[in-house]
Amino acid sequence: MSRMILARLLQAGLVVLVVGVLCFVLVRALPGDPAMRIAAGRYGPDANITEAAELVRRELGLNQPVLVQLGASLGQLAKLDLGRSLVTGLPITKELRIQLGATLWLSGATLVLSLVLGPPLGLFAGLSRGGWVDRASLGGAIILRSLPPFVLGLLLILFFAMLLGLFPPAGYGTWRDLALPALTLALSLAAVSSRVTRDAVSAVARTPYIAFARLKGLPEPVVMRRHILRNAAIPVVSYLALQAIYLIEGVVVVETLFGIPGIGHALVHAVIARDVPMVQGTALAMGLLFVVVAAGVDLTCHWLDPRPKRI
Amino acid sequence: MNAPTRFQSLAVSGLEIRAGDKAIVRNVAFTLAQGMPVTLLGASGSGKSLVAHAIMGSLPAGLCARGEVTLDGTSLLAASLAETRARWGRTIVILPQEPWFALDPTMRIGRQVSEVHHYLHGRGAIEARSHARSDLAEVGLDERAQAYSHELSGGMCQRAAIAITHAAGALLLIADEPTKGLDAALRDSVVKRLRMEVEQGRLLLTITHDIAVATALGGMIGVMLDGELVEFGPAAEILDRPRHDYSRALIAADPSRWPAPQLPPAGEPVVSATGLSKRFGEKALFDGFDISIGRGEIVAIVGPSGCGKTTIGNLLLGLVQSDRGRVELKAGVSPLRFQKLYQDPPAAFAPRQTLRRGFNDLLKLHSLDWRTSEELMARLHLVPALLDRRPDEVSGGELQRFAILRALMLDPVFLFADEATSRLDPVSQKDVIWLLVEIVRERGLGLLLVTHDTALAQRVAAKVVRLER
Repeated sequence: MSRMILARLLQAGLVVLVVGVLCFVLVRALPGDPAMRIAAGRYGPDANITEAAELVRRELGLNQPVLVQLGASLGQLAKLDLGRSLVTGLPITKELRIQLGATLWLSGATLVLSLVLGPPLGLFAGLSRGGWVDRASLGGAIILRSLPPFVLGLLLILFFAMLLGLFPPAGYGTWRDLALPALTLALSLAAVSSRVTRDAVSAVARTPYIAFARLKGLPEPVVMRRHILRNAAIPVVSYLALQAIYLIEGVVVVETLFGIPGIGHALVHAVIARDVPMVQGTALAMGLLFVVVAAGVDLTCHWLDPRPKRI
Repeated sequence: MNAPTRFQSLAVSGLEIRAGDKAIVRNVAFTLAQGMPVTLLGASGSGKSLVAHAIMGSLPAGLCARGEVTLDGTSLLAASLAETRARWGRTIVILPQEPWFALDPTMRIGRQVSEVHHYLHGRGAIEARSHARSDLAEVGLDERAQAYSHELSGGMCQRAAIAITHAAGALLLIADEPTKGLDAALRDSVVKRLRMEVEQGRLLLTITHDIAVATALGGMIGVMLDGELVEFGPAAEILDRPRHDYSRALIAADPSRWPAPQLPPAGEPVVSATGLSKRFGEKALFDGFDISIGRGEIVAIVGPSGCGKTTIGNLLLGLVQSDRGRVELKAGVSPLRFQKLYQDPPAAFAPRQTLRRGFNDLLKLHSLDWRTSEELMARLHLVPALLDRRPDEVSGGELQRFAILRALMLDPVFLFADEATSRLDPVSQKDVIWLLVEIVRERGLGLLLVTHDTALAQRVAAKVVRLER
C-alpha cells in the first residue's frame, strides 16, 4: 500500500518534469514569433505591433538563449511557482482555479451521469445475457460510441435545446447549462462502461464460486450483493481510469463547443497565444489529475480486491 | 454437529433427465439409506453429475427432470423453485468439485463460512463469527480463517468447503467429484472425511470416476453408462464380481488391476541429468537431483502437487533453466525429437480451429507426408473424420491421443508425459497409457511419466522416483 503511494508520488514528480520541458519545447517549436503572438494577445493586433512585440521580447527575456529560458522556466517550477500569464498578467494559479473549477464541475456531472446510466444497464444486460436488454444496449452502445462527441453534442442541442427548449444550447453558470455538455460526454462513457460491466457481470455470474454461493443456501440478493457485485466491479473500476482519460480528452472539444470557460478551452487558447506559463500550468493540472485519478482507482481496487498483489 | 433430526433415506426411482425431446439420463433408480453411502461411478458424460443436480434441483437451464425423488417421503421434484431454493444448504448441500474454484477469490475463508450462519440461520454477526470459527476448527482450519482461497492448498480448500456445508447444516450431502485434481494422499484424506460425515449421520451421495474412492467409501455402488444406471449393488459385490461389461471394463481400468507391461531391458540413455537444483523464490524444489532415461525405458516421477515433478521434465526438455547441474541429451539428435504431452489436452490445442488445420500446418512446417500421419492415426485408433472437428468437439481421451499423434509425427526419442491422463476417465486413461507403453515397445523411445497416481506409476514404470514436498 505505502509502496503504491510512493510510486504515485514519484509519478507526479515525473509528470511535472516532463510536462514542464515538453510544453516549453513544443510552444517554442511552433511556427511564428512568440513575442508577436503575445503582444497580439495583450494589446490586440494593431499598427504598433512590431514595437509592442519588441517590448514584450525584452520584458520576458525572449531574446536570451533558449537553454537559459528553459532553465529559468524549470527553476520556477521547482519552487512550485507557476508564474503569471504572459497575456493577462494574472497569477496562473488564479486562472487555474477558475478554469479547473469549471472543468471539474463538468467532469463530475459527466461521471455521475455515466455511472447512473452505464453500469446498472450493464448489470441487467449481464444477468440476462442474450436477452433483449443485452441486445438493445449493445446496439445503443455501438451507435453512441461511434459518434464523435461534437456530433452527439450537436444532436443533443438540436433535440433538447432547439426542439424541446428544455436546456440552453450553450453557456456556463447554472446546472441547466451543464446538462447538455455533461449528457454528451456521459452517453459516450456509459456506452462503453455498460458493456464492460455486462461482460464482467456475466463472466462472474457463471463462475463455480457463484454457483456454490447459491447452493450453500444464500438468498439471491445476498449472492448478488456480496459475491457478484464485488468481483464484477474489479475490472469495471479499472476501466473507469481509462474513462477519466477519455473524459479530459473529450472535455477540450465539448467545452469549446458549448462555450464553457474550462481547462480544455484554456489550453487551446493558451497555445494559440503562445502563453508558455499558461500552457505549462494547464497541462500540469491535467497531468496531475491523471495521477490522482489513477491513485484513487488503485485504492478502490485494493479495497474491492484485498488479495495481496504480486509486484 | 449432530442435528436432532436425521434423514432416514433418499429414494430415487424412474428418474429421467431430458433436454427438449432427448432423454440424456433414463430410468435411474436407487435408494440411499442412513449409514449406507451411495457412490455413482462412471465416465465423464455418463450423466452421473446430472443425477446429483436433479436431486439438488439445480439442473442447468434447458434440462428438466421427471420421475420420483423422495427424501423421507417428501417429493423433491414436485417442489416449486422457491421451495427448492429454500432447501439448498439447509436440507441438501453439494460439496463442489474443484473447491478452489468454488470459493469466492476475494473474500476471506472465515467470512464465507460466517455468512452462511448469518444469512441462513439468522445469527448475529458476532455469533456467526464464533460458529464459523468452530466449523473451521472442526476441519483443522481454525488458523486460516483470515486466508484467501489462493493462499490455501487444494486439500485445505476442500476442507473449507466442508466447513461451509457444516455451517449450512444440511443432512443430505452430495459430493460431486470430490477428489478431482487431488493427489493420492489428499484424496485419501478427503475420503476419510466423507466417511466421518456418514458416521455422524449424514446421508452421502458421491459422484466420482475414481474406483479407489468408491472402494474406500464402501456402501452401495452404482455404475452409470450413457445416461443409464447399468448396475447397482453393495460395493464389495460390484467390485469383485461386476456383471455388466462396462462395469468390468471400468473396474479393470483401475491401475492396481492392470497387467504388467513386460518391456525389454532399457538401452543406452537418451536423456540424463546430474546434480539438478531448482528453487522458485524462497522455496527449494530439489537439490542435487540425478535422473537418466534410456531407450525403450519408462521412468515415473511421483509426488504430491507442488513438489517440482513437472519442473524436472521441463528442465530435461530445456523449457526451464536449472540453477545448477547439467542435462545431457543424446548426441547428434535434433532437439525436435524431445517432445512433451501436456496435462490438460484442451489447453494444448488452438481452440477455434479444426484439428486438420493444426496438423496441416505441422506437416508443412516440418515437410512431412500425410501418409505418415494416416498410419499413425490408425495406430492410435483415431478415425480420420475426427480431423474436421474442433478440439472441444472430441472427447478428452481422443484429444490426448491427437496430442500423442502430434508428438509422434516428429519421431521422438524422448517423450515427457506431464500428468497426461489425470483429466481422463479411468477407461480412457488406461487406453492412453497402454498406447504409450506399446509405442515405447515398438519404437524404443524413452518415456518420462509424471503423475500423482502411485499405483499407475508402479504398474507401468521400470523405475519410480519419489519426490517429497
